[in-house]
Amino acid sequence: MPASAASVAPPRALAPARARPRTKRRRFQVTPLGLLGWLFLAFLLLFTVVPMAWMVSTSLKSEFAAIQQPPVWIPSEPSLDQYTRLLSPAGETGRQFLTYLRNSVWVSLATTVIGLVVAVPAAYAFSRFTFPGRDMLFFSVLVRNMFPAVVFLIPLFILMRRMNLYGSQWSLILTYLTFGLPLSIWLLKGFYDNIPPELERAARIDGATRFQAFRLIVLPLSAPGLVATAIYAFIQGWNEYVYARTFITDESKMTMPVGLEKFFTEYASNWPGLMAASFIMSVPVVVLFLLLQRYFVQALTEGAVKH
Amino acid sequence: MAGMSLREVYKTYDDVVAVDRVSLEVEDGEFVALVGPSGCGKTTTLNLVAGLIELTDGDILLGDRAINDLDPKDRDLAMVFQNYALYPNKNVFDNLAFPLKMRGMKKGEIDARVRKTADILSIGPLLDRKPRQLSGGQQQRVALGRALVRNPKAFLMDEPLSNLDAKLRVQMRAELKRFHQELRATVLYVTHDQMEAVTMADKIAVMSGGVLQQYGTPDEIYERPVNTFVAGFIGSPAMNLTRAAYVAADGGGFVRGSEGWEHPLSAVNAERAGRSSGEVVVGIRHSQVRIYREARPGTVAAQVYTVEPTGDLTYVHFRLGGQLLVASEDADFRAAPDDPIWVEFDQDHLHLFDATTEQALFRIGAAAANGTERAREGA
Repeated sequence: MPASAASVAPPRALAPARARPRTKRRRFQVTPLGLLGWLFLAFLLLFTVVPMAWMVSTSLKSEFAAIQQPPVWIPSEPSLDQYTRLLSPAGETGRQFLTYLRNSVWVSLATTVIGLVVAVPAAYAFSRFTFPGRDMLFFSVLVRNMFPAVVFLIPLFILMRRMNLYGSQWSLILTYLTFGLPLSIWLLKGFYDNIPPELERAARIDGATRFQAFRLIVLPLSAPGLVATAIYAFIQGWNEYVYARTFITDESKMTMPVGLEKFFTEYASNWPGLMAASFIMSVPVVVLFLLLQRYFVQALTEGAVKH
Repeated sequence: MAGMSLREVYKTYDDVVAVDRVSLEVEDGEFVALVGPSGCGKTTTLNLVAGLIELTDGDILLGDRAINDLDPKDRDLAMVFQNYALYPNKNVFDNLAFPLKMRGMKKGEIDARVRKTADILSIGPLLDRKPRQLSGGQQQRVALGRALVRNPKAFLMDEPLSNLDAKLRVQMRAELKRFHQELRATVLYVTHDQMEAVTMADKIAVMSGGVLQQYGTPDEIYERPVNTFVAGFIGSPAMNLTRAAYVAADGGGFVRGSEGWEHPLSAVNAERAGRSSGEVVVGIRHSQVRIYREARPGTVAAQVYTVEPTGDLTYVHFRLGGQLLVASEDADFRAAPDDPIWVEFDQDHLHLFDATTEQALFRIGAAAANGTERAREGA
């Protein structure tokens, strides 16, 4: 033990220092409780992976093979036909699908960018400044999250119509912001709370303006928080269905979740097509998450735990 | 470098007065320690000077320029923080370069200055490291380096040594003092550790409850504390302070504790005590208490409470009436608890305070040392 402590001490890099003793301790222990844990995890993994696997498998089948009884796991003649059809702008289906994809990207990106632009200064203000009604305002920001999103469907519908936004993608962007901002602000505030204010003070004495201190010192330090918040906002917009279904009627403006449904009714028998589209839709989310999961976890724990 | 003046500096938070009309002059090149217990307003004062919080009233001058309304960045001060406040995402070089970059200095000059500063502080080999890869002492040096690198008009230091372990603190204390002496830098240094203040500072400002109690050289403050607070705060172990009534008598008089003990006063001290409201606080430092094994004229009977040998000398805690006092004796002094002893206070080093006002009763003619008088008026 003293030897390992000494070898860990000099670099003082937290990650390896923490990881090493932990793996050491766990490697050779098989307790009944641990076994139960593994079983549970295996079950959970099955629960999440099987539908994905089924989706991919079906998307590679022919239309006939997809509805074959008994079902076949591995397609006998896998083909990428559905994918090429969906992604080629030459055909009608491809054109439609690419429109949905473009719309989804636009709505989600706009939600993410505007959300960050608003949430960053808001969270910073909540974290650093005292102003009248600060606490009340902060908790009122969270009140929205106490109700299921559907509750707001009709009020927001009326509101959007009054503002002449009904049918426009801006109605969706605004709605997603309404839902996404509270959590973004909450998440980011936790992050700013953990950045010692002395750093900004030091920067200001070193010659930075208040804004420069924020931009040059605080913002880079809160990058993991920004990334996590951005992913969260993006995924929210990307996956949302109910509002998108209600607020948008023009086919050229529809986002993918709604588009998929249309696609489904029109090509009721084309399961492989639907699965291929679903798979394409899930790719950005999975890729984003895989690339940035490190930041995401860091953000969630940094926000939660005081150092 | 420049001198600094605080004039009637005043800061309130809602109804709470954090800094109450503090005035003090820091000469060019002087090391001034702001010392006091936590919550006494010393850090607030420092932050007011830095411009990190806004003044409610008063003036702060750097050289002959009022800096009250300037942004921190325009005050040309450097600050070292208690937790160092090193930029964690920048390496040591960039930490040191940051204040220079912010001032738009050319790359070549930044490089030269950073390397020169790093050499002075012997952190040259660490320039590529991130702050978290440094030891506490190294972080301390980098923090100091970031302040030194751009030749500011004055340095502000907020308990810069309190995060170090005891041994390193003593070492850095000496280094800081040496730096100050070499650079002749103007330093305003906040600490709650009176030892740091006494050992490093040219002048000490003792604060309590937002009020400047006394401002003077360490000697002045140690020898002539203006009130019981300063007397009890400066010095280790703390000055013995005990309440007593003054009883006049021929050829002097004496003080009498509520438990009946009596200690004679010399003529000079009797005159001082005579100016009190009748009740005085007698103050005597541990080194000015003499201990005898048998009764003598002019001594007071007491009992040993406990004896603490430290190697260099031995502290003798003893009970006088209901109170515990402390004296220092030769290293080989030993006694058992409850041993009877007789103590004598050195008349030449006896501190007397009025029990009601808690202000010092100075010898006539000896009181009017510069800063002392001013602080008394302020308080």
